[in-house]
Amino acid sequence: MAEAQSGGLAAAEKHYSDYGERARGLKSSGKKIIGYLSALCPVEILTAAGVVPVRLKGNVSEAITKADAHVETMVCPFVRNVFDAALKGKYAYLDGIVLPHQCDSIDRTYDVWSYGLEFPYWHFINYPHVTDDPSIEFTREILRIFIGTLEKFTGRRITDGDLAGAVSAHNENRRAMRSLYDLRKEEVPRISGAEMMKVLVAAMSLPVDESTALIRGVTDEVKGRAPGSRAKTARIMLVGDQIDDVALVNAIEGTGAFLVMDDLSTGSKMYWADVDATPDPVQGIVDRYLKKLKFPTTFVAEGSTYSENLEARFGYLRQYLKDFKVDGTILFIYKYCDPYGFEVPAVKSFIESAGTPVLYIEDEYSTSSLGRVKTRIEAFLEMIA
Amino acid sequence: MAEIRKPRALATQAAGKAGRFGRANLAATLRAKEEGKKVAYAYINNAQDEIIRAMDIVPAWGENFAGVCSAKRDAERFLQKAESENFSRSLCTYATCTIGFDMWREELGGEMPPNTPWGGMGRPDMIIGSAQQLCDPRIKWPQATRHYLQDVPVWMGTMYYPPWDPAGDHREQEELYVKYATEELRSLVRFCEKHTGRKMDWDRLDATVELTDRTWDFFIDSYELRKTIPTPMDTGDAMNTMVPLTFNLGTQEALDFYKELYAELKEKIAHRKGVAEDEKYRLVWGAGLPSWFALGDFQYFNEKGAVFPVEVTYRNAEKIERLDLPETRDPLEHIAWRWVRLWTRWFDKARKRPGSLPKVERIIEYMEDYQCDGVVFHSAFSCRSWHAGIIQQEQVLKKVYGDVPTLIMEGDIVDISSYNEVDTRNRIDAFIETLAARKGRR
Repeated sequence: MAEAQSGGLAAAEKHYSDYGERARGLKSSGKKIIGYLSALCPVEILTAAGVVPVRLKGNVSEAITKADAHVETMVCPFVRNVFDAALKGKYAYLDGIVLPHQCDSIDRTYDVWSYGLEFPYWHFINYPHVTDDPSIEFTREILRIFIGTLEKFTGRRITDGDLAGAVSAHNENRRAMRSLYDLRKEEVPRISGAEMMKVLVAAMSLPVDESTALIRGVTDEVKGRAPGSRAKTARIMLVGDQIDDVALVNAIEGTGAFLVMDDLSTGSKMYWADVDATPDPVQGIVDRYLKKLKFPTTFVAEGSTYSENLEARFGYLRQYLKDFKVDGTILFIYKYCDPYGFEVPAVKSFIESAGTPVLYIEDEYSTSSLGRVKTRIEAFLEMIA
Repeated sequence: MAEIRKPRALATQAAGKAGRFGRANLAATLRAKEEGKKVAYAYINNAQDEIIRAMDIVPAWGENFAGVCSAKRDAERFLQKAESENFSRSLCTYATCTIGFDMWREELGGEMPPNTPWGGMGRPDMIIGSAQQLCDPRIKWPQATRHYLQDVPVWMGTMYYPPWDPAGDHREQEELYVKYATEELRSLVRFCEKHTGRKMDWDRLDATVELTDRTWDFFIDSYELRKTIPTPMDTGDAMNTMVPLTFNLGTQEALDFYKELYAELKEKIAHRKGVAEDEKYRLVWGAGLPSWFALGDFQYFNEKGAVFPVEVTYRNAEKIERLDLPETRDPLEHIAWRWVRLWTRWFDKARKRPGSLPKVERIIEYMEDYQCDGVVFHSAFSCRSWHAGIIQQEQVLKKVYGDVPTLIMEGDIVDISSYNEVDTRNRIDAFIETLAARKGRR
C-alpha cells in the first residue's frame, strides 16, 4: 500500500507546473516512458508492462504554431494543441505513444502523429464503440494485441500476475482519489477546485504508486485544515472532456463560486469506476473501459424507453448533483467535438430536469477566449444566485 | 427558401438519371406506410444495405436528404433549427441538417416543414446506426435524433478494419475483424426481424449479396472507362452517378444503372466525346466530400480544360476478384470480408514504398492509371472523418512521389456560410496556372 507523501499540495503544484518532471527523471534512470491520450487508455496494462504511463496534455496558454502545418484546424483543438506541444519537443523524453480510438480527431490523425513524431513505440487501440457481446470479445482480443506489442517492445512477458497487480494498484489509486473527492462534499470545501485540478494533473504524470502517495498526502493535508467559514456560495460541477489547466477553474472560482465536482476525462471519469478482479485480468479491464466508463463515444443501448436510456447514460450525473450538492453545471465542450457536441441537448435537459441549471459553453483549448468565457460564467452565476 | 439557380451542365445522361434515384428514394420513404413497409433511418457505406433490402425495409438516408437540401441551397433553415437546440455549427452538417428537419417535423405533429426539398423524408420506424465505422456522427447522430423521436428504436452495430501499421501485416488481424463484423451484422438481422415481425429470407439475402457483388464489378468497369483520353465523364458527374452505389446497393436498379452507364461511356469513347472541349489537364479528386451547393465548381474546372477522370470520394467499391475474398457460405461473412478487404486494399502497396500511406498509394495508383497531372482535395470544416489528414496526404504524396501539383479547397458539405465563390475560383485559377506552367516546362 502506498504511503501518504508529506507536503502533498506542494508536490502537486510542482508536478503540475513542471509537467512530466518525474517521468523525465525516471527516464534518465533507465525507465521506459509511454505517453497516452484519453481516459480510455488502459493504464493498468502499461503499468503491468513495467513502463511509466504519462497522460499527454497541451498548454492552453500557448498558441498552436507548428501543428497547423500538419493537422486541419477542424480537428479537436485539444488534440491539435497536444500534437503541437509534441512537435515542439515537450515530450521528447517519451519512448512511445499509445492512442486509443476515442474519436475521429484521434483516429484520423493517428498517422499524422506516428509519421510526424519519431518514437520507437506506437500503438493504436482500436476500441469498438458498442458494448454488445461480440464487442466485448473483440475488445479482449484488441487488448491482447496491445499486450503483445508491449511485450515485444519491452522484451519481457506480461503475466496475469503482473496485470492483477497493476489492476490492484490502479484501483487503490482510484479509491484514494475518490476519498479526496469526498472532502469536496463539505459545506465549505477545504480544497479548492484549482488545487484539485493541480492534483488531478499531477496524478496523471506519475507512476501509479507515487500518484497514490501524492493523493493521500494531499488528503491528509487538506483534512488538517480548519473547516472553512465562507458564506454560502454557488457550488458548481464542470462537465467536459480533457480540461487540464487551472485557467478555467480560476475563472469559475474567481467569482466566489466553489467548483465541487466534475465529469471530466481528467477527473471523475478516471477515478469513479474500478476494474473488477476477474480470473482473466484482461476481462475486468475490458469491462471497465468498454462498459463502466461513460464516454460519449461508447454507445449505451440499455433501457427499453428513451428515458430509461437517458438514465443509463447520465444517471450517474444525478448522483453527483445530489452527493456534491451542486447548484449549477457548466458544460464546457471543445469546438469541433462531435461526440460531446451531439449530446449537448440530451445531457443539458437531463441535468436541468434534475433541477440544476446548466451553462453550455463551446470553446477552444486556449486561454485566448477566456475573457469572453469568464463574462458568461459570471452572468450564469448571477442568474443562479 | 431555396435559391433559384441555373442547373449544372452534365456530361452524361446517366448523371441526370442518378438524381432521379435520390428523389425516388426519398419518395419511397413517404409511401412506405401505405405499402405496409417499415422505414429505417440509415447511414451510407454501412455494409448493411443487403440486410435492409432483403428485409424489405425502406432506407431513409440522412446524407441523401441533407445533400439535396445543400444542393438546393435550402439547408440553412434546418441548420438554424438544430442550432437553436445547441447543436453547434462545427458539428457534422449532414447530421445537424436532418436533426433540424426532424425537430421541425415533430413540432408540426408529423407534417413536413413547408416546401421541404423533394418532399422530405418519411418518419422512421427504426434507426440503424453504424457506430464508428466511418465517423463519430455514426454513433451520435442516431442518438441525437432519438432525442426528438423518442419512440423510435435504435440499433447500433459496427464494422472496423485493421489499423494501418507500416511495420505489421494486417492479415494477421483480418479474421478477428471479419468475425466481429459478421457477428454485428447477425445482431442487425435479429433487430430487423424483431421490428418488422418477419424472419430473414436467407435465400433472398444470398441473392442480394450476389447482386451487390455484380454491382461493384459493373461500377468499377464503367468507371475505369474514364481512363480514356479525353475522359468521357468526370467527378462532377460522379457526384451524381455515385447515388445508386451509395443509396441503392443490393437492388437490380443499381446494377442496371451501371450497365447503362457502361454502355453510354463506351458510346462517348467511340465518338471521342470528352467532358471538356479541349482537355488539357487531368486531375485526381484526392479526398473530401464536395460542397453540394457548389458542384458548379467542377464545371468551372472543365471550362479551364481541367477534368477529373477519377476520384477517391464515393468510389467505395472494387472489382470483387481483386479483393481475393475467402470462400464462405455465410452471406454476412462475405459482406464483412468484402468491406474489410476494400479498406485494406492499399496496405500492401504502402508497405512497399517507405514513408507512404495507403491513402496516398491509392492516389498514386489513380494518377498513374488515369494519367493525371495533379491532385485536388476538398477540406470540409464540419467533417473530421473524411477531411482530417488531408494535409498529411498531400505532404506524403509529394515526399514519396515527387512534386505533384496539388490544391486543397476549403468549404463544407452543407453549410454554405463557409463558402466564397470568388475566392474559390481565384484559387482554382492559380492552380490551373501552376498546371499550365508545369506542362509548358515539359
